[in-house]
Amino acid sequence: MTTHGTDLPVAPVPPAARERLAKVADALIPAGAGLPSAAQAGVHAELLDQVARARPDLIPPLLEALEALGADLDLASVERLAADAPRLHEAITLVVAGAYLMSPRVTASLKYSIQKAKIVDPREITTIVAEGLLDQVIERGPRYRLPPDAPSEHGS
Amino acid sequence: MRDDCDVLIVGAGPSGAVAAQEFARAGMRVICLEQGDWPDYSRARAGHADFELVSRKHWNWNPNERRAAGDYRVDDTESDISALMYNGVGGSTVMYAAQWERFLPSDFRVRTLDGVGDDWPISYWDLEPYYDEVERQFAVSGLGGNPALPPMTPPPLPPVPLNKVGRRGAEALNKLGWHWWPGTNAIATADYGPLHACTQLTACPFGCPTGSKGSADRTHWQALSKGQVRLVVRATVDQVLLDDRGRASGVTYLDENGARHAIHAGVVVLCANALGTPRILLNSADGAGIANSSGMVGRRLMMHPFGNAIGIFDEDLESWRGPLGQYLHSLEFYETDRSRGFVRGAKWNLIPSGAPLSMMLTGTWGDESVWGSSFTRLLRERLGHSVIWGVICEDLPDPDNRVTLDGELGEQDVPGVRIRYRTSDNTRAMMAWHLDRVSEVLDAMGAKQKILNPIMQGIGWHLIGTTVMGENPDGTVVDPYGECHDVPNLFVFDSSVFPTSSGVNPAATIAANALRCARALVARRRDVAVAS
Ligand SMILES: Cc1cc2nc3c(=O)[nH]c(=O)nc-3n(C[C@H](O)[C@H](O)[C@H](O)COP(=O)(O)OP(=O)(O)OC[C@H]3O[C@@H](n4cnc5c(N)ncnc54)[C@H](O)[C@@H]3O)c2cc1C
Repeated sequence: MTTHGTDLPVAPVPPAARERLAKVADALIPAGAGLPSAAQAGVHAELLDQVARARPDLIPPLLEALEALGADLDLASVERLAADAPRLHEAITLVVAGAYLMSPRVTASLKYSIQKAKIVDPREITTIVAEGLLDQVIERGPRYRLPPDAPSEHGS
Repeated sequence: MRDDCDVLIVGAGPSGAVAAQEFARAGMRVICLEQGDWPDYSRARAGHADFELVSRKHWNWNPNERRAAGDYRVDDTESDISALMYNGVGGSTVMYAAQWERFLPSDFRVRTLDGVGDDWPISYWDLEPYYDEVERQFAVSGLGGNPALPPMTPPPLPPVPLNKVGRRGAEALNKLGWHWWPGTNAIATADYGPLHACTQLTACPFGCPTGSKGSADRTHWQALSKGQVRLVVRATVDQVLLDDRGRASGVTYLDENGARHAIHAGVVVLCANALGTPRILLNSADGAGIANSSGMVGRRLMMHPFGNAIGIFDEDLESWRGPLGQYLHSLEFYETDRSRGFVRGAKWNLIPSGAPLSMMLTGTWGDESVWGSSFTRLLRERLGHSVIWGVICEDLPDPDNRVTLDGELGEQDVPGVRIRYRTSDNTRAMMAWHLDRVSEVLDAMGAKQKILNPIMQGIGWHLIGTTVMGENPDGTVVDPYGECHDVPNLFVFDSSVFPTSSGVNPAATIAANALRCARALVARRRDVAVAS
């Protein structure tokens, strides 16, 4: 399987862990502002597989974090994890937010086309100059200080 | 000159690249040893859904977190700022934001003008022709006529567009009557040599997938390594060898399997950056150190304390797009005005805020927790609707801010380094004052929310000082052409030699100074005293 983030093999995530992840993920990112919740977006399903391909190194600490959370899969437990095991907290929040932001449904709703390429238009500067946006900057004249030993053509 | 090569260069960053090209053009036999490998652009994922997840690992700026081939230990536990770098072909230009800034004339005369730091042994005008040349080598784009700098040859390519973000910043600065100028960047805005026109993926510091950024692997090494220069990767230099008359006779290096090799050279040039160069000098002579009769090797580390001001807007500014890179810069308050309560100054630059994960998971977007019901609201408010002003402060040289070796010299290993860096009162006053002014700019831009981050920790991307150049061997390590006072055929061409740091990004000056020094060495190569 191709991975882009590290050279580690992709570890499988068992169904029970996915179920737990869905609950935690919804506590971290509930639906709102016209966007789906993390589980609705599929953070525990196909998106998790994508995360695992991109960053297989995140899966072992994710599984550890899910384990460490115990029975209460709510926001308060995740916050406790931040204090008790920051490395695990970092992993689980990165997986959840990272997976969520890979969701085509989420990015479409945000009108974010994953940095769609747009080649620079080098003629833009001509418009800016023609509009006079730089005129007042130029009119104020030089801003730099000349040292006493500057060449004479520079005014010292 | 003689031996395995005429010149042995350590480090394939921009200083090493510019020097290698110059030596090769003069017909010299050149070997460059680089501890890292070629960048793997298959992992440059901008434009793909996993872009940010992959970047956080593979293009992590901190070698302690990245831990790729060529990365060495940097203990920063006693430092206010972490050191960032890329160790591989192209050096840190593989990761740089490509903001291309010439130092100003006053930067070379800090002692004369402001009574602090030291004057450089060269002036702006000594470097000027070399700036012109390296701007062509690194595909620099920008607009001539900037009144914050002396009149100069315009860069070879037109500037990146302002887009909505830059335009808003420019209009606000005009409202305030303050200086701005379209950004100068080593970013191709049209196809140029081996580079392609920028596609605005906000990817510059995370591996440019388009091949638009003027990073030394692409602008120099791809061509050089095909013929004129022998580039050896995964070769970590541990010591410079001296003969019994105290001249450099070559280096020893460890290959990727930990086997030690020696290469003999007429001249050795260190281009390993302000951490890597003192690491080699201090570790040479089996850890006793060389070229250090002044006691200044490793001292005067400068790191450009950096802060930023984030503005969030109601309007959609499409700020996930753009070069990253700078849209524009302002040098309005760059020069000293003692009434502000500090000396020297800072540069501001405006950038797009980029991709979403970075604005949801860092500690720099305010105190409000992003989790729970806030997440979707904050995401909508920030993505595409935010801009970032960066503030780079000049930090003055302090001998107590320094690089030392960390760990024992092992058979199979080269010691890492420990850095100690403390931010000065002058810098803190400078940062506070500048952030107040940038906050006024955000008001003039119409930001509905402002987040100010003074002196951040994970920002040591400019590494400067540590083998200071000067005429006087008592207080400096190398002469004005980079030649060690103590070892006549050992040179340093990277930013270790800078006597002061300026308040702007250093790559342009690193490249220009390396070219100046390399050309001087070529001119007098028959007179250089080589080892016997
Ligand atoms: C994230 C980031 C963003 C930046 N943005 C900008 C910017 O926008 N504008 C700007 O002007 N500057 C920027 N910089 C800084 C700029 O990239 C550096 O100042 C510049 O690359 C330094 O050039 P150099 O040749 O001195 O050293 P480097 O580029 O650091 O290269 C040194 C090379 O030497 C090699 N080396 C070191 N020790 C050894 C050894 N013992 N044996 C073999 N090889 C060795 C290293 O592996 C490395 O490849 C940025 C840096 C970073 C990290």
